[in-house]
Amino acid sequence: MQQLFSAFGVSWSLLIAQAVNFGIVLVALWYFLYKPVLAMLAKRQELVAQGVKEAEEINQLFARADDEAERRLKAADAEAEKLVANARTVAGSERTRLMKETEDRAASVMRDAEARAAEARAQALRESERDIARLAVLAAAKVMREPA
Amino acid sequence: MQVMHEGITVVLKAEQIGSVFGFPITNSLIMAWLIMALIIIGAYLFSRRLTLVPGKVQAGIEWAFTGALGYMADTLGSEALARRFFPLVATIFIFIAAINEAEFFPGVGSLGLMGASGFEPLLRAPTTDLNFTLALAAIAFFTIEVTGMATLGFFKYAGKYVSVKSPVDFAVGLIEFMSNLGRLISFSFRLFGNVFAGEVLVLVTSFFLPYVLPAPLMGFEMFIGLIQALVFSMLTLFFIKLAIMDPHEAH
Repeated sequence: MQQLFSAFGVSWSLLIAQAVNFGIVLVALWYFLYKPVLAMLAKRQELVAQGVKEAEEINQLFARADDEAERRLKAADAEAEKLVANARTVAGSERTRLMKETEDRAASVMRDAEARAAEARAQALRESERDIARLAVLAAAKVMREPA
Repeated sequence: MQVMHEGITVVLKAEQIGSVFGFPITNSLIMAWLIMALIIIGAYLFSRRLTLVPGKVQAGIEWAFTGALGYMADTLGSEALARRFFPLVATIFIFIAAINEAEFFPGVGSLGLMGASGFEPLLRAPTTDLNFTLALAAIAFFTIEVTGMATLGFFKYAGKYVSVKSPVDFAVGLIEFMSNLGRLISFSFRLFGNVFAGEVLVLVTSFFLPYVLPAPLMGFEMFIGLIQALVFSMLTLFFIKLAIMDPHEAH
């Protein structure tokens, strides 16, 4: 064993020196490489996670805004429909009212005209009765005056 | 220990260049410090340029981190465990990979001094020094065992290896114990053997077919170097997984 070690030049002091060398590299790389790089990776991951979260929030906000817009549009549509329907009913009732009024007026005009016509007829009848009476008187006078 | 053969010199151990306060300084130690400096300075400069919107380099490193963490979480079955062991596994990979990739840079193994025992290169890849691979294996081994004890509790974990319920269980426990100890050797010699063999292969081919063969082989050995770094870190991960598994679930 001793021979083997001496053939390969193995000695405690050199073994310990090389182990210490490795230890130094380990500690140095820990502080100069592993820690900062892993910290950077963690930081970036956090940033990306935050970015994704924010994007999601913005998307949600957009979706909510879309919903709101649609809701308002629907409400406006409904309002407009109601208005139009209202206007239509109002217009319809107005028309019926107008038509009824017109009919009423026409009826009253007709009644008036009929009444006047009746009056005229009655007057004409009365006048013609008077004329006939006068004619009868005249005819009677003529008959009496003629020598028989 | 040197093997001389018609001008090819293969040195099994890292040569001692000097000593500070009686502490030996080997060429593999010098190269380890050089690579450490490169890694640490690179990591420091990189960390200062981290931005929320990543550039190409940062995106690549982040991709590797995320992928490795995800794979570890899948293997260990928990995100928290993956985060706890990620620094160890990643450092094993980065350190070994950096060393193996630097191994064939000009100057490594070729720049040196003429010492008492002939030419002594100033730089030697630490992965071709058993001290380095054994130290790493020991770190991995202790991490694995301590994790097992901490997760399952000492007695439950020890029960994996020492069982008196039946002779078969006792034998199985013994075998498991030996295989765990064997990891120290398999971990260290796998890495050492692969990288060292690659170096020797390049050395030998530069005698047989210089200018032509070494370059593609160096490319291949750099690939092997990456694979070995991956193997070392992945095995550490898998053994951690085995250690934290409940002994009754494991079978």
